[in-house]
Amino acid sequence: MEIKNYIKNELKKKGFEDIVIVKTGSESKQLKFSKNKIIKTETGSSDDISLFITKNKRVLYTNLKEFSKQSIDIFIKKTLKFIKNLPENNNYYGIAEGPFKYKQFRSSYEKKVLDLDDIDLLQKSINSSLNEGAKRTDGVYEVSRAKIELLTSNKVDVEEFSSSLYLSMRSFVNKESSGHSNIISRTLKNFDVDYVGKNSGRIAKLSINPKDGKKGKYDIIFDPLPFSCLAAEIGNSSSIFSVESGLSFLADKLKKQVASKKFSLIDDPLYKDGIQATKFDLEGAPTRKKYIIEDGILNTYLHNTSTAKKYKTQTTGNAGLIAPQPWNLIVKPGKINHEHMFSHIKKGVYITNLWYTRFTNHFTGDFSTMPRDGAFLIENGEIKYPIKNIRISDNMLNIMKNIKEVSNNSIQTKSWESQEPAITPSVLVSNINITKPAS
Amino acid sequence: MDKSLADFALRHLEKKGVSYVEAKLESQEVNEFLLKNSILESSSFSSNSGLGIRYLFNGTLGFLSTNSSEKEKIKRLINKSLILTNKASKYKEDITLSKERSYKRSYKIKQKIKLADISPEEKLKDLVDADKAILDTKVNTPGRYIALSDKISKKYFINSEGTVINSEIPYVDLHYFLTVNENGKSSQRYWEHGETSGWEAVNGWDIPSIMKDEILTIKNNLEKGKKPPKGILDVVIGPQISGIMVHESVGHPYEADRIFGREAAQAGESFLSEDMVGKKVGSEVLTIIDDPTLKSGFGFYLYDDEGVKARKKYLIKNGVITEFLHNRETASRMGIKSNGSSRANNYDKEPIIRMSNTLLEKGDYSEEEMIKDVKSGILMKNFTEWNIDDKRFQQKYVGLDCYLIKNGEIKHPIIKPILEITTPYLWNSIDAVGKNFEGHSAHCGKGEPMQDIPVWHGGASARLKNIRFI
Repeated sequence: MEIKNYIKNELKKKGFEDIVIVKTGSESKQLKFSKNKIIKTETGSSDDISLFITKNKRVLYTNLKEFSKQSIDIFIKKTLKFIKNLPENNNYYGIAEGPFKYKQFRSSYEKKVLDLDDIDLLQKSINSSLNEGAKRTDGVYEVSRAKIELLTSNKVDVEEFSSSLYLSMRSFVNKESSGHSNIISRTLKNFDVDYVGKNSGRIAKLSINPKDGKKGKYDIIFDPLPFSCLAAEIGNSSSIFSVESGLSFLADKLKKQVASKKFSLIDDPLYKDGIQATKFDLEGAPTRKKYIIEDGILNTYLHNTSTAKKYKTQTTGNAGLIAPQPWNLIVKPGKINHEHMFSHIKKGVYITNLWYTRFTNHFTGDFSTMPRDGAFLIENGEIKYPIKNIRISDNMLNIMKNIKEVSNNSIQTKSWESQEPAITPSVLVSNINITKPAS
Repeated sequence: MDKSLADFALRHLEKKGVSYVEAKLESQEVNEFLLKNSILESSSFSSNSGLGIRYLFNGTLGFLSTNSSEKEKIKRLINKSLILTNKASKYKEDITLSKERSYKRSYKIKQKIKLADISPEEKLKDLVDADKAILDTKVNTPGRYIALSDKISKKYFINSEGTVINSEIPYVDLHYFLTVNENGKSSQRYWEHGETSGWEAVNGWDIPSIMKDEILTIKNNLEKGKKPPKGILDVVIGPQISGIMVHESVGHPYEADRIFGREAAQAGESFLSEDMVGKKVGSEVLTIIDDPTLKSGFGFYLYDDEGVKARKKYLIKNGVITEFLHNRETASRMGIKSNGSSRANNYDKEPIIRMSNTLLEKGDYSEEEMIKDVKSGILMKNFTEWNIDDKRFQQKYVGLDCYLIKNGEIKHPIIKPILEITTPYLWNSIDAVGKNFEGHSAHCGKGEPMQDIPVWHGGASARLKNIRFI
């Protein structure tokens, strides 16, 4: 008998009620490069089973990495002993009831993702950066493929294949002049390594001889890479788990205006090129496209079946194994092109990367974040010179409300720190507070 | 753990002509409980184990990992990895490793109260009692997120130079995220307590008291706190603040892989350069250590993940840079021996340079003595938000439990003073270091894929002179 069914049947026999079994098999390769040379290769293979199980309203998450019948039998005995000591979870209202009819949907998939000429792709990108004037490039090239199988006690038995190509490149002209660009894609067709090299090299070249920035209020243009960090914060804030935990600046704001009318944030698991595209969530409920924020109004929190029942609403198809989570975050593009946004600015800053976003208070949205790589002073619609040693110290709700323009040039990207991908254009935000060290 | 898998992998790679190979089997058994607003939101136990292998082939580093226990599968993966590494070696930077002594050792942390002997029910009781202690304060706490976990990490490490290390380290970890509303204002607090220990460490923490103190402190700050003062002030910092400062602006920039640029596209680089050993970077009272051998420290180990013996390191001694954190690769580049700073957070990640227990070493002052000499200043005991740039040159700390100091006396609480400062100014401004000591746990992030690793930071309190607040 197939291993998932064996586990499910054995758990059923022991009186477990809701059962979710997620089996993942993955293979991956990575090339790490520094100073234009490859400094490490990485090859990985992993098989894992994650489980969500309940018994008498007691809820448990666990995993299995050995799949022999003997290991499974030992595992089930341990599970029984463990779960009987747990208290009831009165916040738990069950998993999705199948069977479901899923949309005719197939996410983009690159079958030969592990057989590409990796080194040639990487060299192309490095050369594109050097041709732009960079002296040095660092980063990673990564490809992987995975098969996810989902079996539940509620008549769900589905599977999905995924492939991923990722290139992250930081280019330098010297120690103080750098640019970062990356791309993440499910297919080779959309994996523009030339763009990554050119863009990171271009920013590095532009950022030679930065001057110390000055504190004050500025209009800021965020490139897609830095705005993906902020979009991920907004997306995560929309999970009902974050709302309940005090980790959300969107708490108590459902159906209220939380952002400028120019801003819409979509979660679209059925966007076939989205890196986390899936037709089912991790309890088997069919997924669907939804506006988290539409024209500035908070439209929905992200729910699974249990949290939806608690709040007397419908699941949004965002079940993770523990908490609801976004799939593919998409900032709705605007009509203006990226270059045109500069003409709207009298005194501003152009930000090409961010890191170290931390909150003083998630509930109020007070936070700061560090510009990284090329940052540029804008005066009267033009880039004047590169700047350094600044910090954005403001409030997420303030930033969302002050969005003035959204450009028409989306890319799928993710930052090293947040690791949450988003498909986003550039975004212009007015009147944002910039600080710098006082001592 | 089937040790024959690591032995098999090592032999197979030796036959293939690699110049160096190490193999590490690792298993981690983890139990986690999360109580959210009085409800047990999540309970889990998990176990994972697998094999990580690193080798040098044609001067290029190859790393591979798998959780398969089938020798044929492991062999196939090794062969795939060798093909990739061989191709990559045409575009390589020649990697060499420092020559190190080989060891055959076994070590473990003895658990006075074994983690395995504590039932889920008993572990949960600690969380329920913690939540009750918060509710008993009658303070408005709409967000109560409290998590308790334990882990046992077992490793079997071998390399082609004859080193064999067996280790077993237990970890216990409490972390919480609290939201307090008072007077129409709110504050949030995240903190961790962690040790390498059996359950006796958890018993020693007195979690209900920790929670009660946290809540009442925040309430007092929101109720009685005033706006922070401006101008040139002295600042007395407690071990939680000195700890995060030491971690962010000394530990990280002293990681030699950052100095050489290897992590440039990930965790970033360093404002330091390799020729700065011996340079003065702080006041004479400043001594900062990184000591993985510190018993019960969350970053404890005796041999690193390259099989190098761990030791206490003085990163800064009396204001002068003494050494950086090294693995065998960066040590070789500088023509020295590794100081045993290489770690991976599991079998499936490459070992990279990490901090362990990074601390501001004790001085001669009591906190009271430091405060007594301050005419106008701030006592910062802990913090909320913080960040730092990726060269570790300029940083920000937003204080939480903070007080005004006037003419040597602690006055009223102040609300969220912001210290935004450069690293050179910070470490040169210290004129007094406390004789107290606290170690605080954290999970530090680095690498790609991201590896969070347990560390301690902390040490003594200290006094910073002439800091500008605007």
